[in-house]
Amino acid sequence: MRGRARIIESSETDSINVSPLIDVVFILLIFFIVSATFVTLPGIEVTRPLAVTGKALQKNAVIFALSGENEIKYAGSTVQMEEIPGLVEQASRDSGKPVVIQVDQWADASVLAKMVAEARKKASEVSIATRKPRA
Amino acid sequence: MRRRLSTEPEGTEINVSPLIDLVFILLIFFIVATSFVNEVGITPKHKDTATSSANLEDPLAFDLPSSGQLLQDGMVIGLEQVAPLVRSRASEKKPSVLVRVSPGARAGMATQVMDQAMLGGAQAVKLSPLTQ
Repeated sequence: MRGRARIIESSETDSINVSPLIDVVFILLIFFIVSATFVTLPGIEVTRPLAVTGKALQKNAVIFALSGENEIKYAGSTVQMEEIPGLVEQASRDSGKPVVIQVDQWADASVLAKMVAEARKKASEVSIATRKPRA
Repeated sequence: MRRRLSTEPEGTEINVSPLIDLVFILLIFFIVATSFVNEVGITPKHKDTATSSANLEDPLAFDLPSSGQLLQDGMVIGLEQVAPLVRSRASEKKPSVLVRVSPGARAGMATQVMDQAMLGGAQAVKLSPLTQ
């Protein structure tokens, strides 16, 4: 009787109970899966124009880019101006995502103006990505 | 008796270490992937319902011809003059600003004009293309 109690006690103490750890990790995992926003990047890097009033934009956005050669990029490929409203609608799926346009500072401003007008047909908020001047 | 007791905890317990490894890898992946894009930018607002239509009828217009100059009411001005001009107009009412761009004008210039107009307190900034 005394010997059996000793054996049970030792088997309880030499292994750590990992169930609460797994619970916590699973909760964290589910939280991050739910809050993860997968943003499709345009696939090119542009030189953004300088702006002092630039504010942090919403992370979960539909991103377009306008290259210095006046090519409109979306998700790694070149798209046409007329495709923009359709792409915005498809990407936001009536969740009302804002649109962000990454514009190269040497791109044509009239193309940018047309892009903003096209994106505005389907999105309530259209922003232009800028960079802060070095202080 | 002793042998049975020693083998029992090994037989009933599932080894959870690979599960924890996998879950940790997924966790780290999602933590890293969450905040990926940190973009700073300006949002030119127009068609604002709060602004009266009378206000929008008389916007402060800036023209950007293809030559790279900045014109206001036919006169060439500098970029640093945009904010004071908007501010002087703002003393009467919150002005709306219209930036008319010709094909060939630089997007960087147009963005900077909009930025300066917003700095001057413009309520609505509109970017409109000018067809030849």
